[in-house]
Amino acid sequence: MALEAAARPRAPATLLRRILHGNGIWPAVPALLYLFVFLALPMLTLLAFGFVTIDRGRVVGDTWTLDHLKAALSDELVWRLMWRSFWVAAVSSLLTLILAYPVAYLFAETKGIWRTLILVAVISPLLTSALVRAYAWLVILGGRRGILNQTLLSLGIVDQPLRILNTDWAVLIGMTQIHLPFMILPLLAVLAERDRRLEEASLNLGASQTGTFFRVVVPMSVPAIFAGLALVFAISYTNFIVPQLLGGGSYSTLAVQVYEQTIVVLDWTRGAVLATILLTTCFAFVMGIVAFGNRLARWNEATT
Amino acid sequence: MSRRLSPIDRVGRVVLGALAAFSLLLLVAPSIIVVAISFEPRGFISFPPSGFSLRWYEHVFANRQLTDSVVVSLWVSLATAAIALVLGVPAAFASVRGTFAGRSAANAFLLSPQMMPGMVIGIASLFFGAYFAFRASNTMLILALSVFCLPFVIRIAMARLAGLDPRLDEASANLGAGKLETFARVTLPQMGPALVAAAAFTFIEAFDNVTVALFTSDVRGRPLPVELYYLVQYDSSPAIAAISALEIGLSFAIMLVIARTVGLERLGR
Repeated sequence: MALEAAARPRAPATLLRRILHGNGIWPAVPALLYLFVFLALPMLTLLAFGFVTIDRGRVVGDTWTLDHLKAALSDELVWRLMWRSFWVAAVSSLLTLILAYPVAYLFAETKGIWRTLILVAVISPLLTSALVRAYAWLVILGGRRGILNQTLLSLGIVDQPLRILNTDWAVLIGMTQIHLPFMILPLLAVLAERDRRLEEASLNLGASQTGTFFRVVVPMSVPAIFAGLALVFAISYTNFIVPQLLGGGSYSTLAVQVYEQTIVVLDWTRGAVLATILLTTCFAFVMGIVAFGNRLARWNEATT
Repeated sequence: MSRRLSPIDRVGRVVLGALAAFSLLLLVAPSIIVVAISFEPRGFISFPPSGFSLRWYEHVFANRQLTDSVVVSLWVSLATAAIALVLGVPAAFASVRGTFAGRSAANAFLLSPQMMPGMVIGIASLFFGAYFAFRASNTMLILALSVFCLPFVIRIAMARLAGLDPRLDEASANLGAGKLETFARVTLPQMGPALVAAAAFTFIEAFDNVTVALFTSDVRGRPLPVELYYLVQYDSSPAIAAISALEIGLSFAIMLVIARTVGLERLGR
């Protein structure tokens, strides 16, 4: 009987019901398959392309080789670019933290319309194209005609136009502003919903507000701080739009090189190798940030 | 609370307030400046603009290449949002309600695209396609963008599903409805607002995306972000400010949709 039932072709309605059955993996299967085909396999291809030789989008030869990876790793330029990518991302992440924390704190302290306005100020840039915001900085920082220089010159604050565009400064300013919402949002959630009784206790026991802020509020938000730092570091490290537009034609980072090798130079092998290096080092740095954050959080718990 | 503030506390408050004000200004000023300079009547940028004119908007709407790219982007974003919703909502359902083995691994895999920079997804798709002799095309762009956007849908849908009362589903089952009927008539309607928000968010992310699009989009029939990317590199005419101002307007419309459906605070989680 059972065998007979199993052998009978299953009615489509039954299958559909099983797929929609609340407890199974079925509803996720299409998405999992989709990601396997359009994410996992492409990622493997990207990885593999670094170990073969490619000419005009075709794999030539049938041997695997480590030569391309070795060549990239012994190239001083690659290390120099990686170092620049790293420090720009690191400095920009710290700047976003310094600028984001007060906003998130203010949000938690305010009520009503101000809360909504802060939220709009944070979310609206997030939904605006990063390209549009990079263009805004291009206009603000650019040359003598740039809005910043126009203003500074007409106010008599400087008598020579400042040279910001096409320097590290422009890249740092652009990245920090563009990634600021990604740092504010995790902090916002944590600070707005925090338990305020500890602060009350701290104040009642005679601690100053500043002391309470640094010794109660900030330590409590350490996990959110490091989640934000890891996220902003990763998106800054891999951003190639901002360095290209605000850093100028001769400014390069590891991410910019990946773009140029793949799209401009059309050296796909090198593009694949550099992309793999970019992704690997990015994960390593992010894991370092997360590990450091976890240690700090544990240390906090142990000392308070 | 009327506690006496020490001098250090006063300085602390001023510094905190000043930093918050500065960074809020930093967040909104670039968009305001872009909108302002889009009304420039002359051929070059100045701030504040030397007058008020809509000539750069007329210029943009008369530019066939730009209007075509907007149409391409609209189709690409709609298709991306559709694919991401169709795949993402059931996946979120399995993630939240499912009790199968390996659920956390499946969850991690479903959300993994958000760990990948857009550029890497773009290049990987380009190479994968090339291996099977497919050139970069807007179809490839849609496929890659829906990978990129899937986690957004899954996260918004998961948050909503986790907030639903499972007893309503049980009640529906007890009253004799099948699983399918319960899903269609009880669960799905409750998720309505979250689905609208997920669709809106995915749409704008796809519409604005340049990091995936630069690698996968068609050479002819480029989407707007790619068109804009090349424009911005060689030109800073007020026409670009006009396009940018229109994009800023679109982002506000999307924000309104999200605010009315799941609330802006949801995006923070």
